[in-house]
Amino acid sequence: MNGAVTTLKKELLSYAVSPVSWLIAVLFYLVRGFELASIAFEFAVFRADPNQFPSATYGAGSTFYMVLLVPGILTMRCFAEERRTGSIETLMTAPIRDFEVVLGKWFAASIFFAILWLPSVLVLHLLEYEPYFGADVAFGPVLSAYLGMFLLSGLLLAFGCFASSLTENVLLAAIMTMLFTGLLTQASRILTQYVGELRNDYYMRELLGKLDVYGNFSNWFARGLIDTSHVVFYLGGIGFFLFLTWTSLASRRQA
Amino acid sequence: MPSGAPAVTNGSQQGFASVQMIRVSELTKRFGPTTAVDRISFEIGRGEVVGFLGPNGAGKTTTIRVLTGFHPATSGSAEVAGFDVQKQSLEVRRSIGYLPQEVPIYPDLRVGEYLRYRAELKGVPARERRGAVARAMAKAGIEDVARKLVGHVSHGYRQRVGLADALVARPQILILDEPTSGLDPNQRRRIKQVVRELADDHTILFSSHILAEVQDVSSRVVVIHRGALRADGAPKQLVADSTPARLRVRARCAGQALREAVASLPGVLAETLQVDDGEVASARCMVAPGGDPATELGDRLQRAGAAVHELAVDLPTLEEYFYAITDGRDELRDDIEEAAT
Repeated sequence: MNGAVTTLKKELLSYAVSPVSWLIAVLFYLVRGFELASIAFEFAVFRADPNQFPSATYGAGSTFYMVLLVPGILTMRCFAEERRTGSIETLMTAPIRDFEVVLGKWFAASIFFAILWLPSVLVLHLLEYEPYFGADVAFGPVLSAYLGMFLLSGLLLAFGCFASSLTENVLLAAIMTMLFTGLLTQASRILTQYVGELRNDYYMRELLGKLDVYGNFSNWFARGLIDTSHVVFYLGGIGFFLFLTWTSLASRRQA
Repeated sequence: MPSGAPAVTNGSQQGFASVQMIRVSELTKRFGPTTAVDRISFEIGRGEVVGFLGPNGAGKTTTIRVLTGFHPATSGSAEVAGFDVQKQSLEVRRSIGYLPQEVPIYPDLRVGEYLRYRAELKGVPARERRGAVARAMAKAGIEDVARKLVGHVSHGYRQRVGLADALVARPQILILDEPTSGLDPNQRRRIKQVVRELADDHTILFSSHILAEVQDVSSRVVVIHRGALRADGAPKQLVADSTPARLRVRARCAGQALREAVASLPGVLAETLQVDDGEVASARCMVAPGGDPATELGDRLQRAGAAVHELAVDLPTLEEYFYAITDGRDELRDDIEEAAT
């Protein structure tokens, strides 16, 4: 697995020096910061239970846009850029297995995504002190929410890697991932709500319920509820799309 | 033969037993209906520097990509360092240093960072990595740009960064695909010098369509055209054995006498003979490959009492040979026909 670790380190370095990464980070922290401040203000005005504060923050718009837009932007270059510039040739003629390349790139994207999220834990921790809430915030739901976010982002990033392996066009790769995310987050919800036949079929309802990844995150993980079937669904999805990415990469050798 | 051990066989061209580091047998690569490489076979022994020649689109890069494991062969087989490129691709890739035609390296990394990454990727142990990178940079002559972003160095330097990458893990075999492409004369000279230095302890396959460069660095050339192997051997020998030379003579004698003296020489292609009469008669003609009738002609003219003003055989160049066996074949025929008329 040395090849995966080497790829991971190189990809993290690339993220660290990429202006796009910094732009995403700055925009996310700005929007998230304003949102947290306004939610905290509302909690103070309405004297809401401070323990509900962390869960309330995950329903904020920045979370949705972070999930919808960022995985596509982070993964668009993974393979599409390598193919566009031709560096895929130097990569694939190095003594490294294809699945190590896929794992290294996916892990790097996941770690960078996690790095974007982690500072918000510090913000929640700060809110425990006076003159903010001055209350003990329950960190159990926070951890659960982070687990859910990492699983969800892992799935979307795995799809992003797959989309990036299909084309040389980085923009197309990003759009494919965003469309896929939009489809996952909205389609199952709309189908379940409006198509009566589907709503009445138990298995179909269960399947669509599992596919509603953002709903699962906000209704379960963000409230501190961990359902093993959701965890298995996310992990299975990650494995499935990483496998497809590996297959796509290996098939390039056949071209 | 045990897998993983270079084959010891009779050298194909050297005529002596040698360890074959690259062995290509009936290799074919098709892309859909297009045959890029058509049943080519050749072998390269340890320590050889072989020029891989061919016009653009001849199939050089495709062959190299099969050898480096980037493309699979459609049929036939290839071994590198004793490993099958199809079944033991990872071992093959560990044995080679590869410089692709276009050096596509990550523009947002510094040269040193990029080479450290590549050294790690190629399995150079951590404690040796710094030394390996320094050595590769020194060989490629890029120490002065070690801290520059790859995207900010010139094309020539980028090519040398690619060369340093090929060298960093000290591979037994170097495969260089058009390493001087797009470089200025000074940079080309520098790359050729590096290749000559590397020849002491590496087996090198050096692809190019620039003949002078191949002649400068290679002891042997493999010529490929339209996917098929056209020639394999030492450049001088190939040229002498298969390309007509030009004979020029000027002597103080009658034109008819000069015509008779030249036309009856062994190897002279009579249909190409052209004689100009005058106070000093002159003749030009083509001589069959391998023939050198200059001494015989000199003797004949001397015996006939004709003062020889000029007598020369212009040996063909590798370029002419290249023309003859690739697209230029027709043009060479035209030359011959033109000389005859």
